[in-house]
Amino acid sequence: MKLKFIAAALTALIPGMALADWPERPVTIVVPAGAGGGTDATARMLAERLREKFGVPFNVVNQGQGGGVVGINTIKSADPDGYTIGVIYNFAHYAPMGQADFNADDFTAIAQYNFDPAGFNVRADSEWNTIGEALDAIKAAPDAYSIACGGGCGGSWPIATATLMSQWGVDLSQVRIIAGQGAAGALQDMVAGGFDVVPTSVPEAGPLIQAGRIKSLAVFGDARLAAFPDIPTLAEEVGLELSLGAWRGVVGPMGLDQDVAAELEAAIGDIVEDETWQNQMSERGFGIQWRDADGFSEFMKSEEISVREIVSTLGL
Amino acid sequence: MVAFNSLMLLLEPSTMLVIIGCAIYGLVVGAIPGFTATMAVALLVPMTYFLDPVPALAGIVTLAAMAIFAGDIPGALLRMPGTPASAAYADESFQMARRGEAETALGTSLVASALGGIFGALLLIFAAPALAEISLSFSSFEYFWLACLGLVAAIAASNATPAKGAISLFIGLTIGMVGLDPVFGQQRFTFGNVNLVGGLAFIPVLIGLFAVSEAFRFGASPVARPEMLPLKPAAMFKGVFGHIGRLKLPILRGGIIGSVVGAIPGAGADIAAYISYAVARRLSPNKDKFGTGTVDGIVPATAANNAAVGGALIPATVFGIPGDSLTAVIIGVLYMKGLNPGPTVFLMQPTLLYAVFIAFLIANIVLVPFGFGAIVMFRRILSAPPGVVMALVIMACIVGAFAVENTTFAIAVMLGAGLLGYYLEENEFPLAPVILGIVLGPILESTFLASLAKSQGAFTEFFSRPIAGTLGATTIALVIAPLVYVLIKSRRQAT
Repeated sequence: MKLKFIAAALTALIPGMALADWPERPVTIVVPAGAGGGTDATARMLAERLREKFGVPFNVVNQGQGGGVVGINTIKSADPDGYTIGVIYNFAHYAPMGQADFNADDFTAIAQYNFDPAGFNVRADSEWNTIGEALDAIKAAPDAYSIACGGGCGGSWPIATATLMSQWGVDLSQVRIIAGQGAAGALQDMVAGGFDVVPTSVPEAGPLIQAGRIKSLAVFGDARLAAFPDIPTLAEEVGLELSLGAWRGVVGPMGLDQDVAAELEAAIGDIVEDETWQNQMSERGFGIQWRDADGFSEFMKSEEISVREIVSTLGL
Repeated sequence: MVAFNSLMLLLEPSTMLVIIGCAIYGLVVGAIPGFTATMAVALLVPMTYFLDPVPALAGIVTLAAMAIFAGDIPGALLRMPGTPASAAYADESFQMARRGEAETALGTSLVASALGGIFGALLLIFAAPALAEISLSFSSFEYFWLACLGLVAAIAASNATPAKGAISLFIGLTIGMVGLDPVFGQQRFTFGNVNLVGGLAFIPVLIGLFAVSEAFRFGASPVARPEMLPLKPAAMFKGVFGHIGRLKLPILRGGIIGSVVGAIPGAGADIAAYISYAVARRLSPNKDKFGTGTVDGIVPATAANNAAVGGALIPATVFGIPGDSLTAVIIGVLYMKGLNPGPTVFLMQPTLLYAVFIAFLIANIVLVPFGFGAIVMFRRILSAPPGVVMALVIMACIVGAFAVENTTFAIAVMLGAGLLGYYLEENEFPLAPVILGIVLGPILESTFLASLAKSQGAFTEFFSRPIAGTLGATTIALVIAPLVYVLIKSRRQAT
């Protein structure tokens, strides 16, 4: 009895050893975002399915403090024993902006399950009717327009817009990117005349688009969104094959046991194929994108390089 | 016809059961210090997965209405606001309860809450699009002035000398500065500690300041705890309607202030109550009694915080923009249930939406009997030995702080805030301005810098927009008028 206890204690202490029985107890999914938001919603949908698959609870723990810094740090510094994993999203900007020291190498990639393209929103009465007109105008006078970033200015939507502008040859160092009060706050501020452009996910802007207050000139994805068939893609409008926006995936701390990672990867792969889960996601306006562990790891590394370039040009 | 169909949806037995369950849950959670209405709703969200849209949403709005009132109960009997929305006048009702007038304080508060809530609900039903229109034209310039108004009100609403009120306010502003700054995302006062990057979280600080400090005070001088205040439920409605009749106008004013402030994104029930209290204090014929425990101070503020929930639901449903953190959670449930907020939902699913609105109206009407029950039960819970109660309070505080933030650091923050609150109270510094400083500081900073960035450094923009100009002039007048008054008075005395 005592021996058994010591063995169990040792197993807990030495990562990667004797994890064959994983999971023996509930698994914690750290969500670096507050309860009720988009990242939280997707994580809970995933957690529910993972519980069904493995027969132990997958408990969502929200740590949204400091724009996610606290939660991401919890994932990074967790024991790699498979009992703490996390949902992660665009995080490459934290390090160059001096907010936290996170690198793609700090995490074991498990799988990406979501991607939401950015939308380029302007006021309904804006003089721009196409993304091409908007980009040309901004290129001609980069400091004449104010562009809002919903949350942090290094986050997914402003970086997507900045990447597009840099491809168009806009002088990024002159562009005025201004912090707004969250996506909803920034959109409302734009309606009130405060901003010229507010990039967000299209579903976030949906109610105001339907109300005829704002228009979205382009969606930064491969195809038009089913829920917003009138918004053209960048490829259609300006011939740029770009896929820019927010992504979400599951990771563990560095050094996570390979077998555990593989089991989770396979399980999430099954979930992403599941039709009811897909419906649940699309009902709430979330896009689905699958990348396996290797693809996801590659993606995070390449994004780290490109985002950090943009951040330094913007001077954030 | 739509209204009738909506009512039919609500009268389903299973829906009624869910609503009653949510009402009781809301009253209990709201009455526990440190547990906010937002938290009660957030904890319920996972359960709404299993419910149909009508019971889920009707239950949640019922819960919100109940929880906001229930916060008044511990405010009066323990001087710990159950929710931040009751913080503005917790001291006022506690002073009354200490004089043996707990029945009047709570009875009047209950009826005024219901009236304010009904006002908000009716406004939600009839004037939703028009009011949303107003708050939608607010840019960062207007928010900046609103935050300034709030800061002025924070000092004006406190009972201490303006100097002590201002010091409390600056402590709050300092607490609000810890963490990533809201504009450039740079670390401030974090000392390289990753826990501090997230800042000192609002709920743990609130719990610490208001609840833990009370427990510390009890710990320091256990005998001198007069908190077990007598309450005779039978006498609860005695004289209440006299007060309500006398205070018709302040209640109406509270309802209007509450709905408008609630509809403005970012400002919720707590700020509505503070502003309403400050306005009532200025306009009341009994203004000298404010701070010593008078229903004249409680009634307008408690009407405002219940009206604010209805007000906050207006932009939430019309444009999908939350009026406060509570409605932000409700919007999440709306999406989850396929009722995507936006003007179209009024056209596409009016029956469903109006069922939710009607449920909110009914919740505010039945608030009177339900709230009465909660007051009676609350009394029974707190008849337990104070030492046990305080231990339970501390436990609830620890659980609450951890549940909101999911970090053990939050518990440390809460205990630290408790020490701060204890020290401030012992030295007669008011606590409410601290809270307002924490809430308004980041808003003030980000709207000021964002506004300047937009106008490329031109200060004139703060006045060139009509609403911003009006708000700005009001704020400046509020600051300058008393100074000019004092100056003139001293000149006259000198000559």
